[in-house]
Amino acid sequence: MSTPPHSDPGLEQAAASDESLLAAHEKLLGKKPDDQANYRLLPLSLLFVFSGLIFFAGTYLNLYSGHFDPHVYNEHALPHKGGVEVVKIDPRELGKKLFNNAACNTCHQVTGLGQPGIYPPLVGSEWVLGTEERVIRIVLYGLQGKVTVKGTDYSAAAMPSFGKVAGSGFNWSDDKIAAVLTYVRSEWGNNAAAITAAQVAAIHAKEGDRKAWTAEELAKLP
Amino acid sequence: MTTVQTNASHEVTAIDTAARWPLLLLIHASIKWLVLSGVLALIGSIQLVQPVFLSTCAIFAHGRIVAMQESIFIYGWAANAGLALALWILGRLGGSPLRAMNWVVVGTLAWNVALVLGLIGIATGDATSIAFLQLPRYVQLLMVVAYGAIAVPGVLAWAGRRTEGTFAAQWYAVAALFLFPWLFSAAQLMLLWSPVRGTLQAVAGGWFSQGIWTLWLAPLALAPAYYIVPKVTGRALPSYEFAPHSFWCLLVVGGFTGGRHLVGGPVPAWIASLAIVSCVLLLFHYFVVFMNLRGGLGRGSTASRLVAVGLLAYVLGGLVDAITAFRGVAAITQFTFVEVAQQQLALYAGFTLILLGAIYFAVPRLLGRGWFSANLVIGHAAIAFTGVALLVVSLLGAGWVQGHDLLDAKISFADIAIHTRPWLLAATAAQGILLLGNLLLLVNFLETACAGCCASATPTENPFREPSTMEATAS
Amino acid sequence: MKNGPLFFFGLFVALTLSWAGTVLLSNHQLGALTPFYDENESASFPLRQPGVAARGQLVYADLGCASCHTQQVRRPDFGSDLARGWGERQSVARDYIFQARVQLGTSRVGPDLTNLGARKPAYDAEDLMKFLYTGMIPGTKVVTHPPCTYLFDERAIVGETSKLALNLTGGFTPAAGCQIVPTEGAQSLVAFLLSLNNTYDYPESRPMPVEKAKPEAAKK
Repeated sequence: MSTPPHSDPGLEQAAASDESLLAAHEKLLGKKPDDQANYRLLPLSLLFVFSGLIFFAGTYLNLYSGHFDPHVYNEHALPHKGGVEVVKIDPRELGKKLFNNAACNTCHQVTGLGQPGIYPPLVGSEWVLGTEERVIRIVLYGLQGKVTVKGTDYSAAAMPSFGKVAGSGFNWSDDKIAAVLTYVRSEWGNNAAAITAAQVAAIHAKEGDRKAWTAEELAKLP
Repeated sequence: MTTVQTNASHEVTAIDTAARWPLLLLIHASIKWLVLSGVLALIGSIQLVQPVFLSTCAIFAHGRIVAMQESIFIYGWAANAGLALALWILGRLGGSPLRAMNWVVVGTLAWNVALVLGLIGIATGDATSIAFLQLPRYVQLLMVVAYGAIAVPGVLAWAGRRTEGTFAAQWYAVAALFLFPWLFSAAQLMLLWSPVRGTLQAVAGGWFSQGIWTLWLAPLALAPAYYIVPKVTGRALPSYEFAPHSFWCLLVVGGFTGGRHLVGGPVPAWIASLAIVSCVLLLFHYFVVFMNLRGGLGRGSTASRLVAVGLLAYVLGGLVDAITAFRGVAAITQFTFVEVAQQQLALYAGFTLILLGAIYFAVPRLLGRGWFSANLVIGHAAIAFTGVALLVVSLLGAGWVQGHDLLDAKISFADIAIHTRPWLLAATAAQGILLLGNLLLLVNFLETACAGCCASATPTENPFREPSTMEATAS
Repeated sequence: MKNGPLFFFGLFVALTLSWAGTVLLSNHQLGALTPFYDENESASFPLRQPGVAARGQLVYADLGCASCHTQQVRRPDFGSDLARGWGERQSVARDYIFQARVQLGTSRVGPDLTNLGARKPAYDAEDLMKFLYTGMIPGTKVVTHPPCTYLFDERAIVGETSKLALNLTGGFTPAAGCQIVPTEGAQSLVAFLLSLNNTYDYPESRPMPVEKAKPEAAKK
């Protein structure tokens, strides 16, 4: 390799021709007999490095891939066994939402006081606070005819059926009925025991499909 | 130590003269786009410190400026320059003049017309807001066709090469030529013509933008780097037997880094985990590239110095990529200027410096004469080094401040803007410096091309030394 | 690499592998993600975007808002996303299934916008319009956002002032007899921003118990 006669710093001189470049590197890729029995450190160390990287990759994926589950967004939390955890919703919260969702509050009002002479109040009502047997039936199937609440007669309006029964415009599940009853029985100073979905389901199963109750029929119940 | 006997040939041959004007057309377009991209980058950078700057005009909305700058950089500068050099290398190593060069001319015109139309589309409200795929979909079909026309001679040169043996520069060049149309078309289909649902768009977009880098831009830069370093040093590459492994490592693993920017985001955790692991596996590729091309450091003159610094930045970028991919680090650096700094480290300090060096190496050979002004070459390199270093460091600084401020919910965004302001001012200055340097290149290129065009076809004296034969050393 | 066709095949396989491994696999898992039907609410979530909001999302894309704003809340141990009041839970894939052009964003020069419609203090359309026009957050005097005056028309008042006209004060007061009226683009952009509301809790979005990382975990 000789130094060029004049060197232009803006012009890069080539020190190898294209043919020799190709040939030399092709030779390097070919299999060479290890003439001098050289122990070459680099291939071994590179192999070691690459294996190390692959080992790391495998470990990392095993630990933090969330089992390749599409619903795992946090790699530390593995998917739940046996499906999605059912969330506990406070029945009073649900009941309040249901009550105020244009279903109950239209007649009984947000205050639970009803409309004098037309819709009976729920606050302090003996029907609401009394035995679960009656109040569950009223909400499930509805109530027709005259009813006496806190000494006043109401007969102008009928209570519609809310349960999953024939002719119901609401088709609420037993859960929802239990929730709304629990809310009504513990709001506005009312203080009666909560009602569980199981109680509603038991009565629903016992009565099956039927028409709305009347106050007399209910009065016969224990 | 063995010696391969071949006849030392002339440095500039019919291969270069046959490809002269079509390739110079590509390079010419690329340099103009680079300058324009610098202007837009400067505007965008000023807007970050001065939100009112040019903000009353919809064309200069910051988001549109960013979209246009990115499109010009990728599809204007990187594509034109990268393709020109890939074709040139494939022609030279293929051993015979490139065929079908008319296709290149037509393709170049069509590609750049499509890009101009797309930019008009972005300016008037058709930007897609998808990273690296900002151009509206109506120009993208034309771009694929134009790309095919430009790439034809490269594939022909590969298929019709004189020698059976191949060299790493050829692999990278062919890979880049071949993979881009697939990548680009698949991304268009999934994101614009028949979009996938919900956050899958982010996954597909991540696959595309990382693929553009690892499967297209990185090979386009590595092809000239692998060619120029042994040409200049005159020595066979050390540890070259690992180059094929490194090549396949980049291609196979590279595309899996798509979930790189989705850490902690609304996609399943495994997508990010897979990307993190891939970023780490790519370290093997970067390490081998460093081992192969370390001989290029500190030798030769300006062109190879640009390539060498670019290679260092490329390897450093890979390392930083692997570190910031981890969730613990990403929790701080994600969504900050650190990511912008990383992108500049890869696209500017890595890709662009290598390609600038390669242009300084290739253009004299294509024209058969030296650069118009050697001082402009040296000046540009010095300016580019300063500008790139200042840009990356200032963006890293801004990102560091921003990342820590973001962690504290009590610090408002107005305060973060105040804290990052000095760093962003430095970044703006860096953009100005880089723009200046690229203007020097444009002037030098135009003068050189004019001289080659107007003067007699054969220069008075051949400025090139005859290259000697390379020796294949056993290590 | 000497075998041409095999080399090209290898390149193609390399590309296809990564495509299948990330895009295809995730599409298989999430491509048919359904809305979540809540029996107690008798409604499906997420809610569908109103048409005007879908148009607004295209304005958001066209102006490149995503270059400075993200639309994703990361989980509790990631940054201060929750502490800044951007949401009460992390964003999950289901939040985005009705969006035509999802823009998660990669930069937070400005705040996250995922939950803007449910943010406290609540911004109304008028606040956002003024913010876009002046670039100043309501109640402050510093320009922190590029003023997008191109989203508004300055018109002469003919007859009555438009119902949409901005009620601007200070240096922004329009000339006498003029009014500043948001364009259709501004209206749909604001409608889109206010439609961003991810308050509903999906089963997968609830914070799950974070197990202690095992000591032998290969954490670098």
